[in-house]
Amino acid sequence: MSREALRSQVGTAAAIAHHGELIQGVFKDDGGRLHRGLVTLPITGLRSEASFARSDGDAVVVHPNHKIKASAAAQLTLEFLNVTGGGVLTLQSAIPVGHGYGSSTADVVASIRAVAAALNVQLRPSSIGRLAVAAERASDAIAFDEHAVLFAQREGTVIENFAGSLPPLLLVGFKANAGAPVDTLQLPPARYDSAEIQEFGVLRALVARAVRLQDPYLLGRAASASALISQRHLPKQGFGEIAEIARRAGACGVQVAHSGSLFGLIFDLFASNLKRRAALVAQQIRRAGFKDVEVHLVNAEGRTW
Amino acid sequence: MVTLDVDYFRDLETPRLAHLAPNLVAAAFPLMKLMPARFILDRAASNGELKRGSHIVETTSGTFGMAVALLAAARHYRLTLVTASTLIDAKYKARLERIGATVIALDDPRGDGNQPGRLERLQEILANEPDGFWTRQYDSPGNWLAYARLAELFIRAMGKVDCLVGCVGTGGSLCGTASFLRTVFPHLTVFAVDTHRSILFGQPVGKRMLRGLGNSVLPKNVRHELVDEIHWVGAYPAYGTAHRLLRDHGLFMGPTSGAAALVAQWVATTLSDAQVAVIMPDEGHRHAETVYNDDWLAALPGWPCKEPSEPRTLTTIAPAAETQWTRFLWLRRSLDDVLKTREAGEVPPAVGAAENL
Repeated sequence: MSREALRSQVGTAAAIAHHGELIQGVFKDDGGRLHRGLVTLPITGLRSEASFARSDGDAVVVHPNHKIKASAAAQLTLEFLNVTGGGVLTLQSAIPVGHGYGSSTADVVASIRAVAAALNVQLRPSSIGRLAVAAERASDAIAFDEHAVLFAQREGTVIENFAGSLPPLLLVGFKANAGAPVDTLQLPPARYDSAEIQEFGVLRALVARAVRLQDPYLLGRAASASALISQRHLPKQGFGEIAEIARRAGACGVQVAHSGSLFGLIFDLFASNLKRRAALVAQQIRRAGFKDVEVHLVNAEGRTW
Repeated sequence: MVTLDVDYFRDLETPRLAHLAPNLVAAAFPLMKLMPARFILDRAASNGELKRGSHIVETTSGTFGMAVALLAAARHYRLTLVTASTLIDAKYKARLERIGATVIALDDPRGDGNQPGRLERLQEILANEPDGFWTRQYDSPGNWLAYARLAELFIRAMGKVDCLVGCVGTGGSLCGTASFLRTVFPHLTVFAVDTHRSILFGQPVGKRMLRGLGNSVLPKNVRHELVDEIHWVGAYPAYGTAHRLLRDHGLFMGPTSGAAALVAQWVATTLSDAQVAVIMPDEGHRHAETVYNDDWLAALPGWPCKEPSEPRTLTTIAPAAETQWTRFLWLRRSLDDVLKTREAGEVPPAVGAAENL
């Protein structure tokens, strides 16, 4: 059915970035089939903004013109909504490219939302996730914003809905491997062994429990274990040193972008003396030779640092 | 009279055993052995070792045999179970045969379940079967890898697990669950439960009363490096605790589960601030004619043995002392050391790298 009647002139939308994954691996669905999946660690401080102006032409024109995936996503969204014509898609993003912040997915999700907004349609996060995967082959779960899900990044489906948001966290983030960017799509998918696949089930249960009880320490344990497994597949220099800094600082755990260069130390946002501890940790991380140390707040309900 | 917790209904697989100790959660569900059986068969099928019409063989008379029998029936495999005549009763044998398994119960002149020739008989069957497949529950890595699921269930039910208690037969359930829990809880203390005259932890082999526990061979799945303490439990205390599980919790479990629950109760009572998980792997139906049969029990010399009016704590029992109820061997650390370790946050030795399938 055509939705021509619902047409509005311009739709605008945004999508947040992420700081890599809390866990990533291979997980069983209810039927016992295996799927690659991940739990994204969203950060609201970085975002991509998109506007879409409908036009009568067939093509979607994108600015800047190298954002091909976003353009494809806009086209796919029009087709999904059974709408003819094209439009002009304009993107503006402050998200660094190639480190695991999900810059391209943020562009794609913002574009899908902007097209939907231009048509006065509210898309479900699951539909946005599927469209994002169709547009960029592998995606992440930022279509769900701060809602925690185990997302099949190559299929665009939810393997498990954790029915809540992540607990409030403070994240001290920085870049490994001298800050060199990683081309996600050039990476071969990690081949996990049987023991690792079995362990992912345990980590998934930890995340479920952490969301249910809003427990940052359980979440940190899951993230650390997944990061350790990731070392076998995409090793990050200085992992042992960072794990030791995290242990000494009483962090909940160590988190990495499983297909990027990002490292993160997870802290309970309500822990005592947090500002001083975070400052000390940041100093130790810089001293260890890591670059671009930043602080991010997750589910902080408007708090500032 | 049976009283059932609310938790029992909320989560049938992992009930909280509040009548034994408030901080004690069990994994107790019928045919827990379906987990390793399914894992091993699925793996073999995907590797091409199992084909339609293959002949599966195993030496077992227990719940693993029943689990394999059910899967073999559903997937159209032939199955032969080789066991000792003293390890299987007529009703259980008939039940396995009704499902489609062939059960070969060899003579057991010594009556200890350790008769020679069981493995030779199994090899003989395999030699004559081009499509034969031995599930190797004692040595297959699939047996312990499958228990990640149990670790997952404990975490979903309890969150943090401080202590894990379980019986050791093939080593799969305790060592598998412990291995996966230790990757996320490095301070986990693992309590192994065995019975007297079992080779697993260095006792001389002999006739054993507690069916389902006690080994005359050392399975590869028993990983001693994961175990912090060993507790040897006698048959009668195990029977008594199994009765208590039924009476107080509505859990119809076998004597192996009774043995595990008994040790778990002592651990949970001693470490009252710890979250204690116990694996109870055998269901009671198989023991209806024995452990739950008053006539059979009445014929036992010395039954019933006197049950302590209150659960005794581990600290009241001297290390390596033999008591009426149970005997303990302190493998690496005394309980005091365990308590100190928990307080100091010391990290135990790392778990070895998982073996690939």
